[in-house]
Amino acid sequence: MKQNTLSNKIKQYLMFGGVGTALFLCVVAVPFIYGLYLTLTSWDGVSASKPFVGFANFAAAFKDTTYWQAMGRTVIYSAFAVILINVVAFVLAYLVTSGIKGQNFFRAGFFVPNLIGGIVLGYVWKFVFNRAFVAIFNSTSLLSTPNGALFCLIFVSVWQYAGYMMLIYVAGFMSVSPDVKEAAMIDGCTPAQAMRNVTIPLMRSSFVQCIFLSITRCFVVYDVNLSLTKGEPFGSSVLAAMHVYNQAFTYKNYGLGQAEALILFLVCAIVGVTQVMIGKKGEVEA
Amino acid sequence: MKRTLALLLALVMVFALAACGSKDNASGSAGGDAAAPSGDGLTIFNSKMEIQSQMEEMAARYSEEKGIPVEVYYSSDTVAAHMSTRYASNEPYALAMVDAKDIYSLGPEHAVDLSGEQWVGDTTQAISVDGKVLGFPVCVEARGILYNGDAIKEATGKDFDPSTIKTTADFKALLEDIAAGGMELPVGVQKEDWSLGAHFLQQVYEMQQDPDAFIAGIKDGSIKLADDPVFNALMDTFDLLKEYNYAKDAPISAEREVMEMMLAEGDLCFKFGGNWDWSDMVDTDYTENLGMMPVPSDLSDYNTMLVGGGSKYFFVDNSVSEEQQQMAKDFLNWLVYDEEGQDFLVNECALVPAFSNITLPVSDPLGASVKSFADAGNLIADYRYAPDDHYAKNGASFQKYLAGQIDRAGLADEITAYWATAEVGAH
Repeated sequence: MKQNTLSNKIKQYLMFGGVGTALFLCVVAVPFIYGLYLTLTSWDGVSASKPFVGFANFAAAFKDTTYWQAMGRTVIYSAFAVILINVVAFVLAYLVTSGIKGQNFFRAGFFVPNLIGGIVLGYVWKFVFNRAFVAIFNSTSLLSTPNGALFCLIFVSVWQYAGYMMLIYVAGFMSVSPDVKEAAMIDGCTPAQAMRNVTIPLMRSSFVQCIFLSITRCFVVYDVNLSLTKGEPFGSSVLAAMHVYNQAFTYKNYGLGQAEALILFLVCAIVGVTQVMIGKKGEVEA
Repeated sequence: MKRTLALLLALVMVFALAACGSKDNASGSAGGDAAAPSGDGLTIFNSKMEIQSQMEEMAARYSEEKGIPVEVYYSSDTVAAHMSTRYASNEPYALAMVDAKDIYSLGPEHAVDLSGEQWVGDTTQAISVDGKVLGFPVCVEARGILYNGDAIKEATGKDFDPSTIKTTADFKALLEDIAAGGMELPVGVQKEDWSLGAHFLQQVYEMQQDPDAFIAGIKDGSIKLADDPVFNALMDTFDLLKEYNYAKDAPISAEREVMEMMLAEGDLCFKFGGNWDWSDMVDTDYTENLGMMPVPSDLSDYNTMLVGGGSKYFFVDNSVSEEQQQMAKDFLNWLVYDEEGQDFLVNECALVPAFSNITLPVSDPLGASVKSFADAGNLIADYRYAPDDHYAKNGASFQKYLAGQIDRAGLADEITAYWATAEVGAH
């Protein structure tokens, strides 16, 4: 039997990848394309008719000032959150690989917040900010001012993701062979120099991964936003994903909401892919 | 090169997941909790989660008594979303409980004309579209000021009679009295956008002679909201509530559940709200003399009335068999005229009935207040045609006012700016 015929190749592909491909088409590709179609209609999400309106939704999305305010807020939130998540995660990873006592316990402990779902986590921290801190410091709640609410969102996101990113950094630290560090020390490096010039460059792929993951997660964050601030006070902490949801489901402008979701997706994709391209370029191997 | 390509492909997939995942979840779960209604018999959709178990028990009894199969369904989706999936899959309920606005959107296409039914004469809350009665009111809900008479008496030393508080000046004098009696900040003001934007602000429309004309006037600029007497009278009252707000230092972090508990237990005297607050207050250690009174204001036509009306409506679907339609109609009559049906509505479900022939006493104190205002014809009809984003956007503006970030003129400007582009719903 010939191994290299086209039909044989197709058979082989279907045997190994058929189920996956079918599922991918059903739950990702088809809804995505259908979603693209919906951006061209003025569907309200309920009625049977989906009037075709061309690119009117995109024009409306560009004129929707609250959307762009939410987008701006999301960029600020993501910038702070991504930097802090990675700094904290890196420091934690360094500490739990430096051989301190009980480091496995700490690794598990720092990872736990990530196991709690965003919704629950938001409610827990809402209680802490609104009741506990208010009672302890006898002050007003941080959640009641626009800047305070944004700070709380960043804080909780860092708390949630730092442990997860820490694991990736831990793997990065472990992958750097002690030999090269030792060699650097013998050559006269201080520990700080060895870290900067040897360990960090070798861990570059961990950075690329962590930053990519945190950027994409921060840009589309919804659950913590919903349970922690619900967009309050005065709609000043509505992030882009929440605005999209409200637009589509609460205000019943499904087409417009879908168009705004697509713009959010493109922004997020461009930022993420650019970051990965730049990050990958300078990767070195030992 | 190949590696980069593989990586890119993986990225695209991750993105696709992230982007689609967040927005498709909500629609994807539609109808997840309700099985398909089966063939004949009476199928009922219930959208009041708190009475689902009562509905199921009632269905079992009713079905045994009348010898017809009765099934009750519930969905955690929004009513409109759930109904749209039902109609999309051509599996309508014989009888569906929906919100008032859904009667306007679904009714003309799907509902049976109930004008000939006997109960139409015993209620003022049925919904008619184009002269046909389409919606059967399940219960009445109303908003106003909730008070705790015991707490007021403790502070002032006098028995409290809500009917003596009509104008803003009356209310101010009473609040000063209470403050002098030891409770300096006796009011709770909710910060929720629905409470401020959909409830308090909407009274400005509801207390106009013609709400539609008023909104049209704001839209075309012929009415200046900042100069409107109703707006100013209600804002005067709101300023008073704000001044005596127990959380005035941090109004935006005040929590509704805490406020309800404080009011029920006598740590507050007043709160703007409605009889739905009872479902949270019933579990507290509440005192005896609770009730609801109109929002005091200098609008003499309206300061003796609560705002509200029918909440949740049944409609009978016109695509099910004649037989099923008749079962549904019989069931509605049973609710209104049969002793058991009345008992079910009032005692088992603790609802305020919308029918004047039902004389069973309402057990909860807030509901009893609403019932007495409703029976006396002292309800101002609530305005149901505000756009879907009205409460959120204007609620946010109102929150700024509550937090002292903008003044009354600023609030009027933001509301006017909202109406410049918004359109009222069809009705």
